[in-house]
Amino acid sequence: MDERKVVVEVEDLYKIYKVGTNKVRALNGVSFQVYEGEFCAIVGTSGSGKSTLLNMLAGLEHPTKGQIAIRGQHIEKMNEQQLVAFRREHVGFIFQSFNLMGTMTAIENVALPLTFRGVPKKERLKRAERMIRLVGLEKHKKHRPNQMSGGQQQRVGMARALVVNPDIMFADEPTGNLDSVTSEEMMTLMRNVVNKHHKTLIMVTHDNQLASYADRVIHIKDGKIIRIEENTKMHKPTEEASGREESHDKE
Amino acid sequence: MRFSDILTMSAGSLWKRKVRTILTVLGVMVGTASIVVMLSLGIGLQKAMLSEMTSQGAMTSIQVYNFNYGDGTNQLQMTDDTMEEFLEIEHVTGAYPQLSTWITLSQGKYEASVNLYGIPQEYLAQIPLAEGSTLPANATKKPELLIGNGVICDFYESSTYTYPYYEEGELPDVDLTGKTLFTQFEPTWTIDAQGNEIIQPSKKNIFPVAGLVAGGPESYNMYCWNVYTDLDSMKKYLQDTYRGQVIPGQPTDRNGNPYKYFCYNEAIVTVDDMENVNDVQNAIAEMGFEAYSEAEWIKSAQQEMLIIEAVLGGIGAISLFVAAIGIANTMMMSIYERTKEIGVMKVLGCGLGNIRWLFLTEAAFIGFIGGIIGIIISYILSFLCNLILPPLVGYDGMNISVIPIWLLLIAIVFSTLIGMAAGFFPAQRATKLSPLAAIRNE
Repeated sequence: MDERKVVVEVEDLYKIYKVGTNKVRALNGVSFQVYEGEFCAIVGTSGSGKSTLLNMLAGLEHPTKGQIAIRGQHIEKMNEQQLVAFRREHVGFIFQSFNLMGTMTAIENVALPLTFRGVPKKERLKRAERMIRLVGLEKHKKHRPNQMSGGQQQRVGMARALVVNPDIMFADEPTGNLDSVTSEEMMTLMRNVVNKHHKTLIMVTHDNQLASYADRVIHIKDGKIIRIEENTKMHKPTEEASGREESHDKE
Repeated sequence: MRFSDILTMSAGSLWKRKVRTILTVLGVMVGTASIVVMLSLGIGLQKAMLSEMTSQGAMTSIQVYNFNYGDGTNQLQMTDDTMEEFLEIEHVTGAYPQLSTWITLSQGKYEASVNLYGIPQEYLAQIPLAEGSTLPANATKKPELLIGNGVICDFYESSTYTYPYYEEGELPDVDLTGKTLFTQFEPTWTIDAQGNEIIQPSKKNIFPVAGLVAGGPESYNMYCWNVYTDLDSMKKYLQDTYRGQVIPGQPTDRNGNPYKYFCYNEAIVTVDDMENVNDVQNAIAEMGFEAYSEAEWIKSAQQEMLIIEAVLGGIGAISLFVAAIGIANTMMMSIYERTKEIGVMKVLGCGLGNIRWLFLTEAAFIGFIGGIIGIIISYILSFLCNLILPPLVGYDGMNISVIPIWLLLIAIVFSTLIGMAAGFFPAQRATKLSPLAAIRNE
């Protein structure tokens, strides 16, 4: 296992908030590694510090102390501008509440991160189209978010995260706003994408059941890692989720 | 991000909040329109004023009078030699003497006393002519007359001394061009051996009428009350007719004898540029003549117009300023409302500069669209102004509100810049919003 490429390396990470005169240790010395092509779940209850950890991994928050290296780049030293540029080039993000642009169609939403990269419109839409097909939404590509179900919206969110061909993808409670059936479909889709396209995905959830889709589960409590589980049970990609695979070329 | 993408995204956000955008644009529109209309009034008034003056050649001409005229003893005289002296003054482009004398025009039972001016051809050419008229020709045997358009009002019935026009409001039955018109110079005086004055009336002549000055009997211009003729013709005629006698209107020497040359009581000196009018005027005054020009007055009038324009523009600017506050408010609200959206964009890697530009562009759009619509409204208002106002303020037939192209361009650029300036602070605020807003669930 150790000969695999390390994508994320976290060392001795602390995040301390000051609430009035009290110090709250949201993260209290966390170290772990995530490897390329791995689906890693961070599981913890509300207030365990799992979201703080994800925010710092994605460069949305600065750690108080410690190091985060993503593909060897230390993001804890970056300023706001560098972080934005870093996310633009290396990171895909899936939100709990989807966060699609209400004024844009599904395909435009998927193409949005490419817009920030300055990719020409034609090229953008071509790549977005591919991603839309990958998540099985080509019938809905011209729909706006309010014309789609939660599951469909989250698939758009997934395609949006994938379109930039990121080194690492983060998912923040991606099924938090979905019912159990759609949640399972979503998890299967994510599992498939990781398997077939060799993506690295870090997901935060409070649900142990969903965490079972991951290769590895990091349990976190009171800002500390209490247990890291290797998941030996392999999830087989289901048919409907893998059906679109041939249309996605490797970039 | 590409510029085209920034434009489409900004326009999209504005379109999403149509009513709010329209209301904000409305504010800019009112502001722009008020500035443009106010300035157009200032510019229009100034133009009307200036065109009236330049049409009279008043900007660069100096009127020279010799008030010592008439008394023959040791007095300064304005003669053809004086004209040469005027021409030697720096910046002088021309010196046109005017020979003037009173004449009586008569036709049938009507008579009129008017001033006859003999002026050089170059200066005659500046007089606007009525249709079918020609200029009095140069050096003719009999002077040809160019009659002012208001002269007809001056005819009175010679037997009763009543003016049909001034007393009864109807024009006298005088045909100035077609029928015979008699011209009579002032009577000559001689003193006989006993010392008695002998007044000898001049004989009545028939001078050909070359034409009329442009304009109806009631429209005023600086030529309307006089009769003009060619200077050389007039001089030649007077010399031939009054050989050895005192020419009417000319001075005599100490012994009451006529001079061998003509003395003028009025001349016009033209100057190359308005800036030099003052210097030339002073030089002429030093020679002992009275010099008068409107250049100074025009200059101060222009400065006054500038102040009026500034005040009018300032009044308009207040409403544009209020509109700018409106833009800032709209943008601020929009940013608070879109905190999450901005956060998402930041998470997805939208550069801080791009976010700033997205909001600046939105604000600029509001300013730009407001400016364009404001200009359309200005044109309508300007048209209405020109329709309604001129008769009320005595500028009949003139445009009182003028919108030059530069004003249009400046108005659009200015309203766009105002929009951007108003959007600057909100846009700055947007770049500082935390991307974490995207993560929060509400």
